Amino acid sequence: MHISHSILTWVAAVLTVGIFSFLWRDNPFYKFCEHLFVGVSVGYSIALTWYNAVYPDLFNPLFLQPLSAVPLGKKLLLVIPLALGLCYFCRFIPKVSWAIRFPMAFVLGWGMGVAIPATFQTSIVKQIQGTFLTPGIFGRWDVFLWAIISFIGVICSVFYFFFSKEHKGALRVASETGVVFLMVGFGASFGYTVMARMSLLIGRFQFVLRDWLGIIR
Amino acid sequence: MKFFESLLKLDRRIIYIVVGLLVMLPLIKPLGLGVSSGPRARALFDAVDALPAGKTVLIAVDFDPSSMPELYPMLVAMMRHAFAKDMKVLLCGLWVTGSGLADQAAQTIPKEYGKEYGKDVVYLGWKPGVDAVILGMGENIKNVYPTDYYGHPLDSLPMMRDVQRLRDIPIVFAISAGTPGYQDWLLYAQSRYGMRVGAGVTAVSAADAYPFLQSGQLTGLLAGMKGGAEYEVLVQKAGYSKAYMPAVAAMDSQSLAHVVIMLLVIIGNVAYFATRKRSS
Repeated sequence: MHISHSILTWVAAVLTVGIFSFLWRDNPFYKFCEHLFVGVSVGYSIALTWYNAVYPDLFNPLFLQPLSAVPLGKKLLLVIPLALGLCYFCRFIPKVSWAIRFPMAFVLGWGMGVAIPATFQTSIVKQIQGTFLTPGIFGRWDVFLWAIISFIGVICSVFYFFFSKEHKGALRVASETGVVFLMVGFGASFGYTVMARMSLLIGRFQFVLRDWLGIIR
Repeated sequence: MKFFESLLKLDRRIIYIVVGLLVMLPLIKPLGLGVSSGPRARALFDAVDALPAGKTVLIAVDFDPSSMPELYPMLVAMMRHAFAKDMKVLLCGLWVTGSGLADQAAQTIPKEYGKEYGKDVVYLGWKPGVDAVILGMGENIKNVYPTDYYGHPLDSLPMMRDVQRLRDIPIVFAISAGTPGYQDWLLYAQSRYGMRVGAGVTAVSAADAYPFLQSGQLTGLLAGMKGGAEYEVLVQKAGYSKAYMPAVAAMDSQSLAHVVIMLLVIIGNVAYFATRKRSS
């Protein structure tokens, strides 16, 4: 057992214990750790945003660099994102809060224009194609079988969400088969969620036992 | 019946203690249950392994410390694989809170293989604007990142002479804890620039990633800590690393915890139906 001499490791360990103390019951130490986490995260994000984006890409070239380094045309171009960015802060002033619509309109317009074709291609066309025509489908019988099962699952699950006709006869069979596939999907998601949460717990225990207490290698 | 009723009223803190002990004990005294590598991890490993020496692998560090136990082992294992094959590694990130993790990996892993910063590895850092960043990197990386994370101009880094845009990089390994993540690399880097994309995801989002694997859009998939362990095993079996494998070391605990959860689900359901039948 080699207990860490690093003050940072001790801080992390004490905060870990503080967060885990919630498992016993809610307490002021847990509240302190929770609020500290939120504050540090926000502060860290603001600092990084300033040093990685705002300062090098906007503030420095617009205000600090001489015209010999950054031409006037480029400086004027930079005024546009500066103005749009400042419009977000108008939200705090009721009289001019309408100005937030300008950056929102820009972001929505750009976002939709860029995302719609790419999303259509990636998440719709390729996915419909991949419902049955998976790579290697005609190469191995088991891949072919799984592709058929997947195809049936997709069709039946879509039928379950078909509400324009009462689910009777063949439609009922299809929609109930779809429910089975949906339940399998939910079960898989739940199983993976359990695995994820356990992984996080294990990760913390590895930190406590290895980095802090030095019990394990 | 009283037994089932008392089970349903069991103090949740007892369950926490049992789970905690079962997770902790195998970490102190490993059971050696072993880890086998599945086809999804193997596909990613083979894709990277087939690249010739000198090529660049782009690793997108799109996660933060809250998913570090699951995803950081993947980052380390992939970097070890690339360096052992004499490939170069370009790191970048779409998550602002993940900057420190990529920095930590860029500072420690290359030294294990005698690799130099600027020649064999470059960390670009984080920039806001997910789609704009990826599309901009597709045109010219220097337009988006004039300097790297440490403030060096990209022109001064020898590795970046051969890596001008995304088309110069054969594969991106997107390690994602959510959005933005591998789906954005599929949306913009693959659909527009034809990049091959491999993904490492948290177990929570693994089920959402499988359709992209089946359609062939993802080259390979590492799901959760198990995925990281699989890649660590592949890297070590190939003789590329002899380093400590944190994800593999955690698998005994993971397996025991899953057994406990399964038992609790079964016992809970039996107790519920038994007591419901009685009350009705």
